[in-house]
Amino acid sequence: MPAARQLELVINGERRSAEVEPRTLLVHALRDGLGLTGTHVGCDTSQCGACTVLLDGRAVKSCTMLAVQAEGAEVTTIEGFARNDELHPIQRAFVEHHGLQCGFCTPGMILTASDLLTRAPDPDDATIRRALRGNFCRCTGYQSIVDSVRAAATALREGEAA
Amino acid sequence: MSESVIGVSRPRVDAPDKVTGATHFAADGHVHGLLHARLVLSTEAHALLQRVERDAALAMPGVVAVLTADDLPLASAGSDRTTEPLARTEVVFAGQPVALVVAESEAAAEDAVEAVVVEYEPLPAVVDVEDAMLPGRALARVLEEDAGGGDLESIHAGVDKGQEDGEEEQLSGNVLDTVHRNAGDATALLETSDVVVSGTFRTPWVYQAYIEPQVATAWLEPNETLVVSTSTQGSFVTQRELARAFGLPLERIRVIAEPLGGAFGGKLALMEPLAAGAALALRRPVRVVLTRAEDFQATNPASAQVTHLKIGARKDGTLTAIAARMIVDRGSNAGWGVEGITSLLVAGPYRWEAHEIRGYGVQTNRFTFGAYRGPGAPTAAFALETLMDELAVELELDPLELRLQNAVVEDDVGVSGNPFPRMGAVEVLERIRTHPLWQSRDSLPDNEGVGLAAGYWPGGNEPAAAVCRVNQDGTMTVVTSAVDMSGVNTGFAAIAAETFGLSPDQVRVVAADTATGPYSGASGGSKVTYTVGKAVLKAAEAAREKLLAAASDELEIAPADLEVVDGVVRAVGAPDHSITVAEISGKALRFGGRYEPIEGHGGSAQTRGAPSVAAHLAHARVDRETGEITLLAHVIAQDVGRALNPALVEGQMRGGAAQGIGWALYEELVHDENGQLLTGSFLDYAIPLAERVPDIDTLIVEVPAPDGPFGAKGIGEAPVIAAAPAIANAVAAAVGIRLRELPMTAPRVWATLEESGA
Repeated sequence: MPAARQLELVINGERRSAEVEPRTLLVHALRDGLGLTGTHVGCDTSQCGACTVLLDGRAVKSCTMLAVQAEGAEVTTIEGFARNDELHPIQRAFVEHHGLQCGFCTPGMILTASDLLTRAPDPDDATIRRALRGNFCRCTGYQSIVDSVRAAATALREGEAA
Repeated sequence: MSESVIGVSRPRVDAPDKVTGATHFAADGHVHGLLHARLVLSTEAHALLQRVERDAALAMPGVVAVLTADDLPLASAGSDRTTEPLARTEVVFAGQPVALVVAESEAAAEDAVEAVVVEYEPLPAVVDVEDAMLPGRALARVLEEDAGGGDLESIHAGVDKGQEDGEEEQLSGNVLDTVHRNAGDATALLETSDVVVSGTFRTPWVYQAYIEPQVATAWLEPNETLVVSTSTQGSFVTQRELARAFGLPLERIRVIAEPLGGAFGGKLALMEPLAAGAALALRRPVRVVLTRAEDFQATNPASAQVTHLKIGARKDGTLTAIAARMIVDRGSNAGWGVEGITSLLVAGPYRWEAHEIRGYGVQTNRFTFGAYRGPGAPTAAFALETLMDELAVELELDPLELRLQNAVVEDDVGVSGNPFPRMGAVEVLERIRTHPLWQSRDSLPDNEGVGLAAGYWPGGNEPAAAVCRVNQDGTMTVVTSAVDMSGVNTGFAAIAAETFGLSPDQVRVVAADTATGPYSGASGGSKVTYTVGKAVLKAAEAAREKLLAAASDELEIAPADLEVVDGVVRAVGAPDHSITVAEISGKALRFGGRYEPIEGHGGSAQTRGAPSVAAHLAHARVDRETGEITLLAHVIAQDVGRALNPALVEGQMRGGAAQGIGWALYEELVHDENGQLLTGSFLDYAIPLAERVPDIDTLIVEVPAPDGPFGAKGIGEAPVIAAAPAIANAVAAAVGIRLRELPMTAPRVWATLEESGA
């Protein structure tokens, strides 16, 4: 077993350190090393997207990269997504538009939506559905998630205009 | 009076925690000194276990133990997954847990699994369920063990097994159970019917595909109480199963059901015996969390089934008789199968003059059968609703009118031999009739079609209890032990708020564990809102009586002349004479207080069923070159009794329909001829993705359940049932072919198009 090493990360705006083996995946460093259990593990093959986090604002599947690869980057997990103790407009939209049932996929859905809306502030439904194809939901049939992302896009655009 | 809270869409009570990552699922809790277990799975579908070589694994860093069945303190010699969580002497499917590697870290356990060497003496793998039934065929289990004695079957739907069978059919020992439902002379009636259609229908093993893999954590308290924190649909049933596995008194077992990351029938007492067995053996906390690959192989998906079906009708469209022979692949599950429920549901929500239905539960060397949303129902509906469509064509009748003409109404006697309770079969079909998609079905472009299908779920019953407690600040805490699988806690809040006289945001719902909570059965069978919800209603009524007694004393007004509105008790017609719930509760919950705490206990023991029926419309396009089906639109009309929270009801309808789309188009667990799983990851097993599911139009139909809380009933299973046949019928309308096997993959559609020359 290769020796563990000290990993320095910027997570949710804070500098954090954790001891990890070189082989440790980012998702395990977040969950086990740092106690950020809002990032979930749903599959072993990078299909389901439950482990999605933001790396410098872009959605990545944290089961698909090593923790050491995140060094030097800003990592945002669902725990750090709210703004100043208020729900982020995307989070609020998921609450109000019933974009979740069991909630296991929800953090990944929200962070993938954030990536999309950063790049495409006014997406149509087909664009939203394409953006979410790497995030599985078994509960909702997706429609309420699409509704949530569309509502969040509107809220974010209106927020910026205000 | 303030507005009703019933029938109003509100966000789920657990939504804020779920969007912020604050919800702790069962794999998230920190436990001091926790050990991590990983499974060694059988590489053989059928074999005798010769030897487990563990020395190399034990020598690896961080490894604490390698446990086999003999190392667990099991109490009995059963061969079900509760009493034999690790294979003892015979493995009966590839993926069956054989050993547990327990280590200080998950990574160390994972490494050491590779170092455990298991020696097998292979036996013939029984993988063809129809062949397995024939006399003289090899058996899927050769060593005799006691069949289980658990109560996992009754969770899903308490159905009878039909009549005792006097006739002797020659069958192999792989046939574990036969069901015979018979009334009238179906054979003679089919011979004299004006039109008869028939077919053989196949559906594969289908995986629940909850996004949270199975997980359980167990530890011993200093007083020897076994505590299990787990992702389960039912805490009390898990407690009973653990007591059965380890011979412990119930009082020594405490099961905590954590928030559930999806289950759909699949999370009932599979992981807990493993985690608990290891914790009891090692006397340290142990967590078992499956990887997705392990979850695919080692859990309990829905049965494959083969259905031979024949139905008849008179020229005027009156259905005459139904004859079915239904073969259910139970895999290794000797305890129970769906042959009882599927042989009931194959008759659909229709009247028959005679029926002759046989069901067979057959063991093979594939998986362990388990429940998946509407167990046995989607496959039954695929067969029946396809033939109903064919019958309509033969009779030159409208397929919707044919169904309407024969749809059951209250007190019609079903093939169960019992009268149907009130159920909106006619009402949902009538809603579909006026839908624009149905109206436009004859004016579609080439290769497009609209299909219709219907199906129902009988619903389940189990006694349950609940507590409603008013706090010092006037808010209410509702306590149940129901696992919130589908949003039921949000429904409980509405029921309690409406009954007591609070706004829903003044009500908090907590899920208690087996040590502290009122009784509740497992969440399954579409029964929680109907049974636990009724208990919540009665508990809120009991609390309200206490409230009014105290308020009457304070206001000097008779209880009958008081009303409770948004947390204020006031005189009817004189709202200035009032006192708040918080004031009364404050007078009760203090030293020297004069009133009993404002708390109520309520129970329910529903005896009448509350079936839910749903009809689907699918609009599909078929690519004749490739065979690919594109679903363009989907509609579901469902009788939900009363929609306590329409947004959540629509969520169940859409989610169920989407799973039905998975049955129809994508999902299939495939084994090779040796019983090796070929589709053991999400790379090989496709579930519906966001871009493959169309918008699903929901039509809520409310035919109140007489005994349900505010008329509500269980609605979780019905929406999955008839989605696949609606899509199959749309394909038939589009290109004139009839698929007899699910899923309707492009190669199957293409081959059927080629064969038919259509």
